[in-house]
Formats: sequence, structure tokens, C-alpha cells
Amino acid sequence: MYKKYGRILFAVFLLALVILPSTALVSAQDMTEVGTPRATTLIVDQLDGRIDNPTQTNPYQAGTRFNQGLHQLAYSNMWEINTATGEQFPGLAAEMPEALNDDFTSFRITLRENLAWSDGEPITTADMAFTIDMVLNTPEFPYHGFLSQVVDSYEVVDDLTMILNTKRSEPRLGYTLGVHIWGDSFRLVPKHIWENEDPATFQNYPPVVSGPYTLADVDPNGNWFLYDKRADWEHTDVGQIFGEPGPEHVLFRFYGTEERRIIAGIQNQLDIFTDISPEAWDILRDANPNARAWHEDFPWANFDDPCERGIVFSNSQEPWDNQNVRWAMALATDIKSVGLATFAGILRVSPLAVPPVQVIHDAFHKPMRDWMTEFAFEDGYQPFDPNYAVDIAAILADQGVEGLPESEEALVDLFGVGWWKHDPDKATEMLQAEGFTLQDGAWHKPDGSPWQITINSPSNFEVQSQRLAFAVADNWRAFGIDAAVQQMDSGTFWSQYSRGEFDAGSYWPGCGALPDSWDLLDAFWHKRHIVPIGQPAPGNAMRYDSDALSGILDQIAPLPSDHPDTIPLLTEFEKQFIVERPWLPMFGTSKFVPVITTYWDGLPTADYFYEGPWWWWSLFKYHMPFIQPKSDG
Amino acid sequence: MQFAKFVVTRLIAYVLVIWIGITVVFFVPRFMPTDPVEAMLGRIMTRGAYMEAEQVEAMRATLTQAFGLEGTLMEQYFGFMQRIFVTREFGPSLSMFPTPVNELIGRALPWTLGLLLSSTIIAWILGNAIGLLAGYRSRWLSSRTLEIIAIFVYPIPYYITALILIILFIHINPIFPLFFSIRGDPPSLEFISSVIYNSILPAASIVIVGFGWWVLSMKALSSSISEEDFVYFAKLKGAGEGRIMTAYVLRNAILPQVTVLALQIGTIFNGALITEILFGYPGLGTMTYNAVLQADYNLLMGTITISIIAVATSTLIIDLLYPVFDPRIRQR
Amino acid sequence: MRRTSPRLTIGLIILAVFIILGGILPFLSPEDPRDWIRHPRNLPPSAEHFLGTTNLGQDTFWLLSYATQNSLFIGVFVAFFATLIGVFAGLAAGFLGGSADRVITLFADVFIVVPSLPILILMSSLLQGRASLLLISIILILFNWPWPARQMRSIALSMRERQFVNTARFSGSGTVQILAEEIVPHIFSWAMANFVNTVLVAIATESGLAVIGLSSLEEATLGTMIYWALQHQALLGQRWWWIGSPVFAIIVLFICLFLLSTGIASRSAERRGHGDA
Repeated sequence: MYKKYGRILFAVFLLALVILPSTALVSAQDMTEVGTPRATTLIVDQLDGRIDNPTQTNPYQAGTRFNQGLHQLAYSNMWEINTATGEQFPGLAAEMPEALNDDFTSFRITLRENLAWSDGEPITTADMAFTIDMVLNTPEFPYHGFLSQVVDSYEVVDDLTMILNTKRSEPRLGYTLGVHIWGDSFRLVPKHIWENEDPATFQNYPPVVSGPYTLADVDPNGNWFLYDKRADWEHTDVGQIFGEPGPEHVLFRFYGTEERRIIAGIQNQLDIFTDISPEAWDILRDANPNARAWHEDFPWANFDDPCERGIVFSNSQEPWDNQNVRWAMALATDIKSVGLATFAGILRVSPLAVPPVQVIHDAFHKPMRDWMTEFAFEDGYQPFDPNYAVDIAAILADQGVEGLPESEEALVDLFGVGWWKHDPDKATEMLQAEGFTLQDGAWHKPDGSPWQITINSPSNFEVQSQRLAFAVADNWRAFGIDAAVQQMDSGTFWSQYSRGEFDAGSYWPGCGALPDSWDLLDAFWHKRHIVPIGQPAPGNAMRYDSDALSGILDQIAPLPSDHPDTIPLLTEFEKQFIVERPWLPMFGTSKFVPVITTYWDGLPTADYFYEGPWWWWSLFKYHMPFIQPKSDG
Repeated sequence: MQFAKFVVTRLIAYVLVIWIGITVVFFVPRFMPTDPVEAMLGRIMTRGAYMEAEQVEAMRATLTQAFGLEGTLMEQYFGFMQRIFVTREFGPSLSMFPTPVNELIGRALPWTLGLLLSSTIIAWILGNAIGLLAGYRSRWLSSRTLEIIAIFVYPIPYYITALILIILFIHINPIFPLFFSIRGDPPSLEFISSVIYNSILPAASIVIVGFGWWVLSMKALSSSISEEDFVYFAKLKGAGEGRIMTAYVLRNAILPQVTVLALQIGTIFNGALITEILFGYPGLGTMTYNAVLQADYNLLMGTITISIIAVATSTLIIDLLYPVFDPRIRQR
Repeated sequence: MRRTSPRLTIGLIILAVFIILGGILPFLSPEDPRDWIRHPRNLPPSAEHFLGTTNLGQDTFWLLSYATQNSLFIGVFVAFFATLIGVFAGLAAGFLGGSADRVITLFADVFIVVPSLPILILMSSLLQGRASLLLISIILILFNWPWPARQMRSIALSMRERQFVNTARFSGSGTVQILAEEIVPHIFSWAMANFVNTVLVAIATESGLAVIGLSSLEEATLGTMIYWALQHQALLGQRWWWIGSPVFAIIVLFICLFLLSTGIASRSAERRGHGDA
């Protein structure tokens, strides 16, 4: 009798696993799970994961999230950036801001004609004035502090023209109230909707927006967000500049772990990926013939992400306050092994304070290569190794990588201009000169204590920086230093950085998308931002106190981007940066952001480069007119 | 009278446990190296906006005030205690400011409870039934086969089990949806069937991982009880096999198993994390995890307080029910 | 009297293999297998690399031996102390009763009601990266002793009313003697099952922490091995040697412990002489 029970139980178990689900087989993939036709729905990877407050779409509240399509599709910005040309262009505005005086404190701002909110009301300077007043009068908004330091007063001239007076000189107002990287917090809101609400608590769902798509539906659990193309797309900046957007619907969707995202890509249920690892890309490429990365062949990844990765030191603490120690760490690092362990060598090296993205690589890295090769310490030692690109190509060819370019010039374009030599002997000599001692293979500090380095690293986000930290620690351990990686969640990671309560870290204070990165360099390196350790730093979290670097930054500050002295002065900055070596930039960011072309034409690639593959930036809306359904269905 | 005294002592312990638990959880996060204002500032600043020192300071002050983090720790503590016991609300979430914590938890809790309660109970029944068979009738082929399956499946780390299920039933043989999506509105048939369809795989992963332990522990208990004198005498008395197994063996072996089941309610609140991550299932786990990472005190306190009360209550109920299961226990 | 049961023999043999793999081999390793890019990446198994190499250029076999050593340490250390503390606390609560019972139960209940995962995440962010395996083990003990304690208490409660205990009490045996002669043999098999389970819970919790990046990831444990393999997509990429060896090791380790515990249990049952009851 009990034997029978056992069998029944077993059978039930099998039933549950096999028979039940197979009766529920999903029908063909004509429709998406949210009920839109698959062929006209562009499915995009949701970068920030699950959003637990999906209907909080008030763009000024502290806890509102944007990367689920809100700022990519729903909100247009005043001034946008084109990452292909490296230039800003007007979005909602008709022109770039026109300076009315030489101090750059008064500007004429004009709006584009015939723009409308998604409910059909025209977008005018009244909305802009309302937005400015609302932010200035609502101290609960985090952005309140920022805007009130920028805007002094404004004057509405007519429906499309406004005079804006600023509190201080703003030679780059396009950066201040427009997009430089990722997006910008200054988002216009419709007066006729907001004027009767309490802005601090207004949830703003569903939002009335200025962008080419409206938020049509959300998953109450925050796993997906559906956007519909506006019927009146002619009344948006995107429609007026580039024409009709292709996809009828855009679905931002969170699939979960990397494994699941790959499976989604293989099953053609995901058209656009945000970051995946090189290993994941190998799997996806083998399994789906329609998978396409930025480049058709090796190196596949896009190298133009605007921040470079490396190791940062807390420069006001010993031993990092010593330039020679920082240099010794550079020479103790085998950049090739770090690159292989991080992203299988699919990386572009950078020895400079700005990232090796194409426009910057051409403007700084390549022109400075000869200078770096000649650069020598006081004792005549030349630390630069210009052969990195050729050497790493040889290693990769050895491992069976195909499609590598032949000429040195092309290799330098691909892998970078070179980095510092791996010379443990020289590093040993420099450290010993500073009083460090090597006892039984382990380094000791001048005071005799064992030298321990803790490298802060992101845990499970920013995978390139995470892997880099482990690879560098591995290198330094081989050199005889007790180096360990401390993985941290983003809250701790950033708050230790900002308070200066770290030893070393895999941070990325080297960003820029345009040749003139003064604003970012100033934030990272100017000494006026320095605050004591323990207090959160507004900038210069490395607490690097250099008169020389700050002096050059001060000279650049009043110059607009197109001034003839701007680039030469920035080059001076880079030279001084190399001499002082305040951090160790290593690689630009390699983004494996593949797309699946089963349903779509016109997704951006290296061969069709109208815009970078930055699906999580506000400029994503400008991709839409280029992306069209596959004609053969 | 004995019993009344027992109930009163037990109730005092119940309140005490909840209070100590909540107090511990109130203070521990406040010693973390991060705080919610910095976490929020970090998130805002990494979006690429450049700010002057004064602007960052202004924003910090704004956030500190809005988050209600002014005042000493003790003031915050009493304010918090008052909030949960008087108004029963946990304030706004800090990382999703100003969405109220109650709203966030209210949305996620039914998912977590539904999935974990049902799969935990299925695993418990399945495991104990097999374990009882395996322990009492250890020479039968079917009970041994099931036991061996349990031994092999149980030690596989949960993460691997779940991934293998995903690869088998979503990737290679796509009979389950990759994407967790619910159709229809709550009471409708469409809604219920889509919830079940979407939940089978996550539930199966939890059952597979859970039932092995029940098999093994039940088997250990029932085989040792089967050897006891009273079972032997029952056999001599001529009681039927079925009666011996249920009335003698099961009755004695089930008590510790019920205790552990009640305690498992606690792991329900954090055990769902990896399930949620891997299956895209909604629920409290990811929310709690992110609350820790973002130092979202209010949300963290909300989920943990609910978990503490749920577990304490279920252990209380079990303790009060002991006499029903095992009348031989004298209550003190 | 029968000779040692086959279960016990097989269990002991597998245990011996693990002791060699985790206890002796790490000291014979020609290299520190934690170092990266020491060998070419992703080599298949060969005479030179018994289990091939990982995507990080480590020798999988030597890495596995290091990992086994550390995981065995965590598992046995945690299980031993958690079971020991739990059993004694539970027995004390159940048999002594009164205020001892109340204090112990209160303590155990606080640890049970506070969900461990958020606390573990908090702890590891407090520990600043140099969280040693010993420290992780101690935290795991803290959260694992109340379970056997509660269960032991309920067993003790039901047992003190049982006939054989009463018989012993009437025949004038002291509490200690009752414990030693009647109770301990009775709960031995249960305690072994709990021990085996806690070994696995400890190894699994450590690997769970590793999966969300909170263990000591530069140390080699079975958990961190799985972590790195998953990070590099070894499962979908079908690098079976890398992902498979730690999973296989955990399963075999468990079966070995299971065979040992049931083998010991049946031996102690024999010794108690129920064969001729």
C-alpha cells in the first residue's frame, strides 16, 4: 500500500515537471508578453534592474529613476550631444545659447518652433519659466541647490525667447543646462499640468512629456516599461531634426542575470543589450547569427565610453603623497596581464587623464605619443613603452584571435598609444630609495611595518573596474606587496571615495566625451575642492593638492571650448599630469553592447556610425528615426 | 491554570523577542560605513552632472532634512518606535524618495508570501512523506530510489540548481517564459493562470532544494523511532502497518519537523533574494538587498520588522500548539 | 556482531580522498593557484593540468585542492560548534526548564527572528574586505546554533516524559547518568544528521555570500570558485571542468558525510542492542 503511495508521489513529481507546463506552450513570438506586435516593438535591456517605484515619474524627486527609458525617450533636453561628431547641438532649444555679454552671465535662449507636449499643448517659454520658478521654490528637490546657484533672473521676451541671467560666468551654459555625458537634470515640465500640484509630492504618472515617446504602461513590479510613439512626432525635437521614429513601441525590460539576458538574446527576445562580459558575447555570437557587436570582427567592443578605468590613490595619505611611490606602482604593474585578466585584452590603454575615446585619442593621445616616448625621470630613465599595441596583438594572435590589423598604426588605433613599462627592478630601486625595504619577498614601509594595500572595488556592478581591481591586486602581490581587493556596494564605494577614507581604489576619475573636458578635469583635480579626510568632497576626492595642475585649470576656465588656446593648455595639463602621476589610468572602457538584428535595420555600428551605442543616455531618442523594422518582416 | 501561566510567560517572551530584534536591527545599520544621503548624492553625481562644493553642500542639507535624519540617534529611535507601534507606517523610502515604504512592501509582500509559503509547504509535505517511507520501510526499492535522488539533489548549491532549471526549461526546451509577465487584473482567471504559469519554475527550484533536507531528517527521525520499544510492542499487539506508521512513528517524528517548518518562515524573507534575481520574480528579497546597499534605513526597517513579527508569531503559535501534537508534554 | 557496515567503509574512503585533496595536496602544490594569468587560459585537461585551466589562467586542479581545504575548514568548524552549542543549549533548556529555559529560548529566538541575510550583508560591509574565513565562520556559527537548539529542546521535552527516561529516573540514576546512557545515544543519529546538514549549510551559505560578492573572493573556496566560474559564464560557455569540479566536489562531499552519519547511526543502534529487543 505504501509502495503505491511512493509511486504516486513520484509520478506527481514528474507530472509537475513535464506535463503541466508543456500544455501551456507559448504561442508563436508574434506578440510580446505585454501585448504589442513583436515586429514593431523594440526591446531594450533595462540597465538599472528592477525599479521598485515604477510609477514615480516626477523628474525632480530624489528617488526617481531615469534609465528605464524615462530620460532616453520621454524627456527631451535643451541641448544634446552627438557622440559621433563630439559636438553639442540644440534639442528643445532652437540654437546654442547666445551670450549677450563678454562675462558670459547673460544669454538669449530660443525654443524650437511647433513643439508640443504629449497632450498636444504647445511648449513655450512659459513652461520654461514655470520650471525654473518651481525648482527655485521647492527646496525638497536635490536639484534645487544646483539651479539656484546658476540662475540669477530671467525675462520672458515672447513665446519662444527668453533672456537668462546667471549668477556667475557660464562660458559653457550648454553643459550647465544641457547634456555633456549621460543626460542632464534640467527637464522642462508642462505648466498646465503642474501648476495645480504640489511639486514636492506630485507623482506625475502617467507623465505628460516633451520627448518623442510617451510612457504607455508599466509593470507594477517594475520589470518592464512600455513606451508608445507619439502620433504627433512632428511636434518633437527628434521628429523635426531627424524625421519619424521607426519603432511603434519601445519596451524596456529587465531580464535579470547575464545568463538570462544571453538566453533572451539567443531567443530574439531582446534587441539591444547594455553591458555584457566578453565571455557572454562569445556565447551570444556563436548562438545567434543575427547578433552584432559594435565592430563586425575583433575587437567587437566599442571603446568610446567616456570614462577610463584604473587605480586611484588617496593622495593626501602616505605613502601616496609621494610621487615616486606612485610611479613605482606604475612600473610594478604588468599592464598586459591586467588587460588579459580584465577583458581578455580587448581594451585600449590610456596613460593620460582623459579617456582614449576616438575624438580625444586623436586630439591628445596620438599627438602626445612622441613626447611620452621621450619623457624621462630626472635620472634619465624613460618609463614609456610605446610597443604595447604590437606586443598585445602578438599575444592575442598566439591565442588564436583572428582579424587583428597588420600595421603598427592600425594597432595603435585599436589598442592604444602605449603604457608604462613593466619594470619591477626599477620599481624596486625607486621604492628602496624612498626607504621601503624588501624582506623575505615582502615589502615593508619606511617605518618597518608590512605594506598592505586595500583596493576598493565595485561589487557586481561596473564589471570592468571590478575585474581590473582583482587583476592589479594580483600583480602587486606578485611584486611582493600584500594587496587585497575590498568589494563594495555602490553606496559604500562612493561614500568612502567622497570622504577620502580609502587606501586605493578602482574608481574612474577620467571622463570626457569631447576634446574640451575642462569641466570634468576641474572637478577631479582642482585643489579648491579639497576638504579634510572624513568630510564628503564636492570634487577631487583623491585630495590631490597640486598648484601646477590647478594653475593650468584656472587658465582654461574662462575660455570657451572653441578658443584656440584651449587645446594647447589642456595638453600642458596632460604633460604635468604625467610628471606628477596622481592616479594610474589604465584602460578606456570597452563596452560590449551588442544588438540583435533579427527585427531591425539601422541600429548603430562602427560601419553605420551616426551616434554611439549609448542606450542608457538621453541621446537614445535620436537613434529612433534611424532604426526601422526589417523590410522583409 | 498551569496552561494559562504558560501562555502568559510565552507572550511576554514573544514581545521581548520582537522588541530586542527590532532594536538590534535599528542600531546595526547605523554603524555602516555608508549613509543614505551619501549614497543618494553618489548616485546623483555619477550621472555626470558637475557641481560646485556649495551646491553639493546645499543638496546634502536638503536631503538630510527630507530624510528625517536630523536629531540624535536616540531621538530617531524613539520616533521610529512610535511610528511603528502608533501609526504603523515606516515613512518614505530613502532610496526611492518620497514613495512610502508601506506602499512598496504592500506591493511586494504578496508575491514573496505566495511563492515561498506554497513551495516551502510542498517541499515539507513531499520531503516528510518520502522521508517517512524511507525511514520506516528502508528496504523498499522505491523509497530507497527517492532517498538517493534526495541525497544527490540536496547538496547542489541553490544558485546552480536554479540556473540548470533555467537552462533546461527556458533555454534548451523553452516551455517556460523567460520573462516574468503577468496578464490580466487580480481576481480574473487570466491573472491567476498567468501567475501559476510564471511561478512554476521558481517554485520548483525552491522545492527541489528544500525537500532533500526534509527527506533526510525525517528519515533519521523515523528510523530511530521505528526501533523504539513502543513500536515493537505495537507490532506484537498486532497493529496494522499503516497504523504503526501514522499513529506511532509519524506522530512522534513530526513534532521537531513542525518546529523547523515554523522557523523556516524566517528564511522565507531573505531566501527569496536569489530566486528573485534569477527568475525575475517580484518580491521583498531584492528590495531588502538594495535597501541594505543604499542604506535605505526606512525600507530596511520595514521589511525586517515585518519578517521579525511574522517569525516570532509563527514560533509562538507552534509553542502554543505543542500540547495538541504531543499531549505528554507538561506545560510549565 | 557484524563487521563495519559498507556505508561506513565507503564514506571513510571518500573522506580519505577529500582529506588528501584538501588537507595534504595544497602543501604539495607547485604554485599558488590563486594567481591569475599564470598559464594559458581555458586549456582542456591534460597531463600537465589534470582539470585544465580557467579563463583566468589558473590551474583548476590545484585551485580545487585549495578550495576544498578552505571549504572543509569552514564547513566542519561551523557545523561542529553550531551543533555542539545547539545541542547543549537545547538539552539544557529542555531538561532544566524554568528560567534557564526561558533565557536560552529568548536568546535563540532573537537570532532566529532576525533575518540573517541583511545582517550578513551589513557585517561584510563593516568588515572592510579583510574578512578572513575564520570571521565568516564565526558569523555563520552565530546564525546556525539556534536551529538545533530549538529542535533539541522539543526533542528533550518529549523525551523527558518518555518511558525509558522515567524508568531510569525511578531506578535512581542521576541526570548526568541519564544524559550519558539514555539521551545521548538516542539523539546521536539526529545530531549527526544535523552536523552533516550544517556542514552543507555553511558551505552553501558561504557560496551564497560569494555569489553576491560578499565572501573573501581572493581566497579559494568551493563557493568563490563557483562565483568566478559563473562570472565568466562557464556554465553557458560549457567550460565544464571549471564550473563542474566545485559542484561535483560539494555533492560528493555531502554523500560522503551522509554515508558516514547513517553508518555511524546504524552502528550505534546495533550497539544499543535493539536487534534482540
